[in-house]
Amino acid sequence: MKFISKIILIAVIVISPMASYGQYCNYFHTKYCNPSENDMFKLNGQSKSALFAKGQTSELNIIVYKGQDYRISLCMDENLGAQIQFKVYETKKVKVEKVYETKTTEDEFKPCGDCNGEGTMDGETCYSCEGEGQTATGETIEVVDKETKIVTEKRKELLYDNSQDGFSTEIEFTVESTRRITVEVTIPNGGGSGKSKGKMMKSSDMGCVGLLVEHMTTPISGFKGTGF
Amino acid sequence: MKKQIKLAVTLLMVTPLVLLTSCGGDDPIEEPMEEVVEEVVEETNEEYYQIPSPDEMFGFIKESGLKFNGELLNDIQSSTSYTEPTKQAMNFGVYSADLAYTAAYEEFNETTKYFGTVQKMAEPIGISAAFDKTLIERAQSNLDNADSLVAITNTSYFSVVDYLDQNEQGDKLGIIAASGWLETVYIVANTANYDSDKLAVDRLADQRLTLDNLLDYFTKYEDKEETKEMMGWLRELEVVFAQKEVAEENSGSGISLKKKDNGKMVLGSSSEDKTSISKEQFNAIKDKVNEIRNKIISTEEA
Repeated sequence: MKFISKIILIAVIVISPMASYGQYCNYFHTKYCNPSENDMFKLNGQSKSALFAKGQTSELNIIVYKGQDYRISLCMDENLGAQIQFKVYETKKVKVEKVYETKTTEDEFKPCGDCNGEGTMDGETCYSCEGEGQTATGETIEVVDKETKIVTEKRKELLYDNSQDGFSTEIEFTVESTRRITVEVTIPNGGGSGKSKGKMMKSSDMGCVGLLVEHMTTPISGFKGTGF
Repeated sequence: MKKQIKLAVTLLMVTPLVLLTSCGGDDPIEEPMEEVVEEVVEETNEEYYQIPSPDEMFGFIKESGLKFNGELLNDIQSSTSYTEPTKQAMNFGVYSADLAYTAAYEEFNETTKYFGTVQKMAEPIGISAAFDKTLIERAQSNLDNADSLVAITNTSYFSVVDYLDQNEQGDKLGIIAASGWLETVYIVANTANYDSDKLAVDRLADQRLTLDNLLDYFTKYEDKEETKEMMGWLRELEVVFAQKEVAEENSGSGISLKKKDNGKMVLGSSSEDKTSISKEQFNAIKDKVNEIRNKIISTEEA
């Protein structure tokens, strides 16, 4: 028993540094993303770092407020390549009308004028009438019920694509109206076979990506509010 | 028993190999080692929902002219009355927001007290590791420096967020972030005057977007018992905000991110910005937030 305990203890001591591998990306954005040279910019709490694999895409949903300037910059481990794509979308919840179809199977009935809900007919093969002048044909039909509901959908509208801007790793902008934006980061696949779930990854195919968000109050330009 | 020994021996043999590969480096001789060990990684597309930290809101409302109101803070004497874990997490968020509020308004005495309270509350919640010795020493030696104090309170907040994130306690992080956010909304709603503080009222109206992010964040944890109460409150608040949303949707956003003549990128809308809310909506949001906040800060004895 003592022998097992010793082995387990040694194993824990040796393995524990591995646990830190998962936390390797912790604070990556504050350590490796270059902050703005403008001292007015402050670190924004919506910044994030994460471990990425080649070919992976992740989204960061943040809020940018009216009256503030934002700077979003990207930094990454060298092995992930230099041409990391990032796109900025506006994310919006919209209420839309949606028609839902429900299909059910029902017995087929046909008019049975002479029976009138009581007797049988021979000429048109009506034998047991139900309701007023309706008789079962013995066949079934598919009935489609349509119901209109108002549902909330998430929609994204592309605002910026760094592949159209020389794969720039930073963007700075003034916000005129508060928005919920999505920053989508895609690591190039590196000539692999495309996206696949549960693909065997080499450690060289993984690395940290940091997304540093900074903000400041939009500076007022011009001679505003002099009072003279 | 044999199985356990086998497992332990296997672990001992395999571990050094794994460790060698994570060292990396530029030496080409190490390259083949990297090729040998492989890890299974789920290449899924992750979605992260971030919540602005309280300091962003308080920095803004201070600049917009809102005065500090100490009566709105949650009494630090109550901090020891929260014994239930979820309630502790909620009030940790509340006190963290109060700390950011006092720091933003340079209320140094209050900041010291609230920093101590937040630090003490971190222990039963299991996040005291987020407050390292250096951080506490920095806070103690900068108690009269406004800029440093704001930076330190931010560092402590971000440190907690990172700690919970890295330790896969997203549900607890959500509860803390949501409570902190509710406290900021509570303070703004109860400080702003609808008729004279337009900027603050607009900022309050904009909080529906942060609420959307919060609700989306919580969908990952909706099966967790601990998050259900908070999610219920947030959904009630969503209903109060919802009326405005419909009015805005009808107008269409026409949003764009374009360079203006001065070369600056501007995220703006071609249509008129319709972020403001009616007085009735402002009061409805305020009432609902006050109701939720009272539930959060109520002590078990009450």
